[in-house]
Amino acid sequence: MAVFCIKQGKDIRLKGAAEKEIVAMPLPSKVAIQPSDFRGLKPRLCVKVDDVVKAGTPILEDKVYSPIKIVSPVSGKVAAIHRGEKRFLLEIVIEADGRQEAIVFPKFSKEEIRQLTKETVEDLLLESGLWPVIRQRPFSRLAHPEESPKSIFVHAMNTEPLALDVDFILRGREAQFQAGLDILKKLTQGKIYLCAQEGAKSQALTEAQGVEIHYFSGPHPAGNAGTHIHYLDPVHKGDHVWYVEAQDVLRIASLFLEGVYPAERIVAVTGEGAAKRIYAKTIVGAPLSLLLAESRLEGMRCISGSILTGKDVGPGGYLRFYDSQVTVIPEGGQRKFLGWLSAGFDKYTFSKTFASSFLPQGEVSLTTDKHGSDRAIVLNSVYDRLVALDIMTYFLVKAVYGEDIEEMERLGILECDEEDFALCTFACPSKTDVGAMIRQGLDLIEREG
Amino acid sequence: MKFLEEQIKKMGKLFEKGKPLEKFYPLYEALDTFLLTPGTTIPKAPFVRDAVDLKRVMSFVVIALIPCLCMGIYNVGYQMEAAQGAAHSFWGAVASGAAKVIPIILVSYLAGGLWEVLFAVVRKHEINEGFLVTGILYALILPPTIPLWQAAVGISFGVVFGKEIFGGTGMNVFNPALVARAFVFFAYPAQISGSTVWVALDGYTRATPLAVAAATPKGQSVVQALQEAGYNFGNMFAGFIPGSIGETSALACLMGLIFLLVTRVASWRAVAGCVLGFLTMSSIFYFLRGPQKLAFFALPPHWHLVMGGFAFGSVFMATDPVSSSATDAGRWIYGFLIGVLTVLIRVANPAYPEGVMLSILFMNAFAPLIDHFVVENHIKRRLRLLYRKA
Repeated sequence: MAVFCIKQGKDIRLKGAAEKEIVAMPLPSKVAIQPSDFRGLKPRLCVKVDDVVKAGTPILEDKVYSPIKIVSPVSGKVAAIHRGEKRFLLEIVIEADGRQEAIVFPKFSKEEIRQLTKETVEDLLLESGLWPVIRQRPFSRLAHPEESPKSIFVHAMNTEPLALDVDFILRGREAQFQAGLDILKKLTQGKIYLCAQEGAKSQALTEAQGVEIHYFSGPHPAGNAGTHIHYLDPVHKGDHVWYVEAQDVLRIASLFLEGVYPAERIVAVTGEGAAKRIYAKTIVGAPLSLLLAESRLEGMRCISGSILTGKDVGPGGYLRFYDSQVTVIPEGGQRKFLGWLSAGFDKYTFSKTFASSFLPQGEVSLTTDKHGSDRAIVLNSVYDRLVALDIMTYFLVKAVYGEDIEEMERLGILECDEEDFALCTFACPSKTDVGAMIRQGLDLIEREG
Repeated sequence: MKFLEEQIKKMGKLFEKGKPLEKFYPLYEALDTFLLTPGTTIPKAPFVRDAVDLKRVMSFVVIALIPCLCMGIYNVGYQMEAAQGAAHSFWGAVASGAAKVIPIILVSYLAGGLWEVLFAVVRKHEINEGFLVTGILYALILPPTIPLWQAAVGISFGVVFGKEIFGGTGMNVFNPALVARAFVFFAYPAQISGSTVWVALDGYTRATPLAVAAATPKGQSVVQALQEAGYNFGNMFAGFIPGSIGETSALACLMGLIFLLVTRVASWRAVAGCVLGFLTMSSIFYFLRGPQKLAFFALPPHWHLVMGGFAFGSVFMATDPVSSSATDAGRWIYGFLIGVLTVLIRVANPAYPEGVMLSILFMNAFAPLIDHFVVENHIKRRLRLLYRKA
């Protein structure tokens, strides 16, 4: 056990935190599966419109490695398949019939779980469609069952603005969480690292057996999987680590204990635009309209995920597969006269160029305003204070611009993910999307092998 | 504000594709975003952005230059009055100073701005704010007597060959204002060096402190020679001495520096490196000099600090984030070597009276090399750690 105190980074204290009160939501009438949630998946459709599906029926499978499946979280029928340009699969909408009939998988008692073999665990996870909850670094893509990870990280904290308090939702579910950890342990010869916020109280974390628990403190990105991996078991070229969200560990456990596809997900409904800010107990792929009922959403941006790493899905959109948060913030777009000259008592900035930089700041209200235009990078020193990894961000970005794969790898791009650089993108005066550049570099490496 | 927004929008119609002024869209865009914030929103994560942009950052450098500008205007007038032996009046000095300085600044902005716009139009990109800084920096490092056409030729060279051929703001290797000044310095040496150009009065000769120090014969006290010429630590620190327009006052530079550091626009490491290197080298000369050496060696380090353009150069030029080193360790090295070279050129090289311009340009060329070593070192350390953990 160790405590890591992260010094770089910064917390954006956004208005609109959710009350810590878990409210069970009714079963949604529609859910959607969005293939773009699964990085590394080459989706092949297994269903047609109007097909009847059960909870656990495969909707998509991987073209390259077909045992990897994405399944329906509800029973009902396929209502629509939306495609974009070049027939790109956007989403598969499933209409729920409310009966929640499920495909039945074998189930095990807690004692039996300890005796399971790697093959049984793998097969059941793949068969049930729960495998995609395991992702790998580098590249933050779906884990590949035939690769053996040197360790598995359980990500039991989140420091993004208004994020779900993982410690809170694990309370009272110690046995289930432990069962999930036991199952994960079958998948690797290496260690299981459990990463939690310093001061976490849930016994699911503090009393966890058979894992190595580490605590992280400090501002965001102290809670990013990338930060944890960097400090505990960094990846070099050629090896992999896997990582799983703590909530998904609970789901893995409930699959093995109950024998049905567990679709349950607790989602923090946050942001000043959300009327009821609660921890909603719903299912994966739920529509935002269910979570944001009673909210007035004109002029609001509805994000599945956080303001730093989420996706704009719109008020009619659906929760993404890995998200446990919905954020609603006001749209920007107001033009201000000589805005760049104002004293800026009401501006939010990491820099020291506004009056507000020198005043105490409470919770802030932020819009989707860009506050400037794109420029070449001039102030290259802003990044270093915001990245928790030992990476020279500016030079890495330059290597990506130059498409110099060897240099990118030497500078450590394989340890990075775009989410680790979200704060750089936020703070860059030249409005450079640093995260997108990192992703561009990673994509290039993946493509070129 | 709605009215203004509509008027600008109406005007913008003329610049749209297919309209007569299509080519000059960058000009319209610059005016538009100068008056009103762009108002664009972000389609993908992160959905929120910092309120700071490059306009804000660049305008802060310009604000930091205001003390130097004011002091420069006043001092140019003050030196003229002193040379004429006229009675001193504050507003008189300001007026005659402004009459000399304002045209130089206008010419610098107009001539340089023209190139800037031309390149933006041809390259179809937005006009960069970086020029706001270059334009005034350049004007402030010229002597008040510079012929305006030379000022215009200089800034043209600086903008085109110092910046635009590399791809514009953010891509340049050298500080464009210094490239411009170096061009004038080598192309028209008579108008930018010697003893006659520093006071804006025809035929009036007064050597700058650096020239006095360099000319002090062996065996004499350099401090005494300076004092006889009318220079003491106090008036050199405050800036009531002849010199380039904005560089004479170490006090004004200090005010600018404090502003830049408090707002974190400039890197304190580069400045600290500069001062450290500068004091080190001048101390070496001062404390380790032999008895028969140049009199200039005996100038105390703190006198060095307030003479010539060092204060201005280290605060406003060495901190330029684009042309300086981009790593923390690199900034120290980069600054330190600027300081060392400045003193070396000043004291040991009789061909150039002041070394700060040349040493910064020289180190601009070396900044990528310094960064290369710092980055390689970082990579080696990272790999060592990685394999130890593995």
